[in-house]
Amino acid sequence: MRHETIIAEGRAERGLPANPVGAMSILEVRNLKVSYTASGPQILKGIDFAVGGDDFCAVIGPSGAGKSTLIRCINRLVEPTEGDIILFGQSVRPLGAGDLRRLRRRIGMIFQEFNLVNRMSVMDNVLSGRLGYTGAFRSFFKAFPKEDIDRALHLLERVGLSDHIDKRADALSGGQRQRVGIARALMQKPEILLLDEPTSALDPKISRDVMGLIRELAAEFKVPVLCNIHDVQLALETCNRIIGMQDGYKKFDGPSEGMRKQDLDEIYAMEVL
Amino acid sequence: MSITATDIPTIPAPKREWSRYRHPQSTIRFAVILAILAFLGWSVAFLNIDLSRILGAFPRLAEILATRYFPPDLDYVTDADFVRSVIRTLEMSLLGGFFGVLFSIPLAWLAARNITVSRRIAYPLGRFAIMGSRSIHETIWTILFVTVLGFGMLAGTLALTVFCIGFAGKLFSDELEAIDMGPVEAMRSVGASPLQVFQYAVLPQVRVAFTGIAIYTWDVAFRAATVVGFFGGGGMGWYLKRTTQQLESTRVAAILLVIVGLVLLAEIGSGWLRRKIGNMR
Repeated sequence: MRHETIIAEGRAERGLPANPVGAMSILEVRNLKVSYTASGPQILKGIDFAVGGDDFCAVIGPSGAGKSTLIRCINRLVEPTEGDIILFGQSVRPLGAGDLRRLRRRIGMIFQEFNLVNRMSVMDNVLSGRLGYTGAFRSFFKAFPKEDIDRALHLLERVGLSDHIDKRADALSGGQRQRVGIARALMQKPEILLLDEPTSALDPKISRDVMGLIRELAAEFKVPVLCNIHDVQLALETCNRIIGMQDGYKKFDGPSEGMRKQDLDEIYAMEVL
Repeated sequence: MSITATDIPTIPAPKREWSRYRHPQSTIRFAVILAILAFLGWSVAFLNIDLSRILGAFPRLAEILATRYFPPDLDYVTDADFVRSVIRTLEMSLLGGFFGVLFSIPLAWLAARNITVSRRIAYPLGRFAIMGSRSIHETIWTILFVTVLGFGMLAGTLALTVFCIGFAGKLFSDELEAIDMGPVEAMRSVGASPLQVFQYAVLPQVRVAFTGIAIYTWDVAFRAATVVGFFGGGGMGWYLKRTTQQLESTRVAAILLVIVGLVLLAEIGSGWLRRKIGNMR
C-alpha cells in the first residue's frame, strides 16, 4: 500500500491527522473497488475517504483515473464490485430497488452534459427533480403540489433564469442549461450534492460562474459537495478539500491550501497524452 | 511574382506503400461477389426460367388488360354497398392501427435493450411478442382469426391489430434504443420510478417520432386492410374475391382502381401529416 503511506506522510508533514476519515461524516467510502466486467480491468482499486458536513470536496486526476466511476458509485448509477459506501448512516450496496429510490431522492446530482430533457420546458425540467417525492397519479398528470412549484420559481430566480421559465430546455445556452441542472438538483432538498464534471462542457468564464454559483448555493443550503472536476485551477479556487486520484488509487487527500506543486506532479505523473 | 517549379517543395519518397485493397480482404471480397453472381446464374438455369417468355408476357398482359378489363365498371364501385365496404375497410384499418399502436408502446418499452424493465425476463418476452406478430403474414393472421371467430370485421380488425403490433413495435423499440440516456440517468438519480422515468425522460425524446410511426402504421394497415377481406376478414376485399372468382374482369378493374386511388390518398395524407410533425421537432 505504497500510495497510502505517501499520503499519510504527506499529511503528517503538514500537521494534519493521518486518517482523513472524520467522525462527523455524511458519506464514508471504504475500500471501494469497481470493475465493469468480471474479467475486465479494475477501475477503482480500493478507495477510502469520508465527506463531512461542510466539505466542498473536489476529486481531481488525469482522465481514466476513475473519478466519474467513483462519483457514480455513490448513488449506484454504477454498481460497486467490492467495499462499502455508507451514506447518511446507511449502507448503500445492499439496498433493494425501492430503498435505493428513497435514498437517491436525498442525493442531488449535476451532470457534465446537463442531462436535461430537451423537449420539455425549463419549469418541467426543474419540477422533475421532485419526482421521487411525487405520487404516480400526480406525476402522470404533471400536477405538482403548489409548494413544489413555489420552490421551483424561487430556485429559478436564484439561479437567474426567471425570464426563461417556459422556454424549452434546448433553447438555452450551455451555462443556462447547467443552471437548470443546478435548480433541478436543489429541488430535491438534497443532503449531499454529487457533481460529475459540471463545467467541462462550458467555456472557462462560464465554468467559473457556475462553480461560484454552486459553492454559494451549497453554503446557503448547507449541503456538502463531492465534485469531480478535471480543471485543477478551478478546483483549487472553488473547493476547500481535494482528493487526488490516479489509476484507481487515491493519491492525495487534504485541504486545498495544503496542495503543493509536487502533489500535483505526482497525481498527474502517469498521464499519457 | 510568378511561381516556378523550383518554388514548390518536393515531397520525399514515401517510406511505405499504401493501398486501399490489401491482399486477403480484397481477395475474399472478390470471391464472395463472384459466388453470389454464380449462385444467381445457377438459380436462373436450375429454375429453367425462359427469358423470352417473360418478355413476351408484357404485350400479352397489355392485350388482356385492354380487351377484358377495359372499360372499368365504375357503376359497380359507386354502388352504396360497395362504398359501405370501403368505409368498413377504413374503420378496420383505423381500429387495428389504434389498438396495435396502443399495445405496441409498452411492448416496445420491454423490448428496448437500453431501458427495458429487466434484461433477463422482460426483454426476451417483449422481443418475442413483437417478432411473433411480425413473422406471420397478416393474411395468415386473418385466416387464423376467421377460423376461430368466424367471418367478419372482428377477425379482420384483430388480424390488423396483431399486424400493427409487429410493425409499430419494431419501429418503436428501434427508436427507443436510439435515445439519449443522459436524461434517463438524471431521472433515475432523483429517485423516479420506472414509469416516471419513461414518462419524463423517454417519451419527450420519442414523442414526435412515435407520432410519425403511428401515422405510417395506419397507412400500411390500410393497405393490408384491403386484402384482409379477401380471406373473410370483412371490408372491400370480399368484393375483390367475389368478382375475380366470377371472372367479372371489368368490375375487378374498377375495384383495383379504387384501391390504387385510396392507397395513394392514404400515402399522400400520411406523408403530409408526418412532414408537419417532423417540423415540430
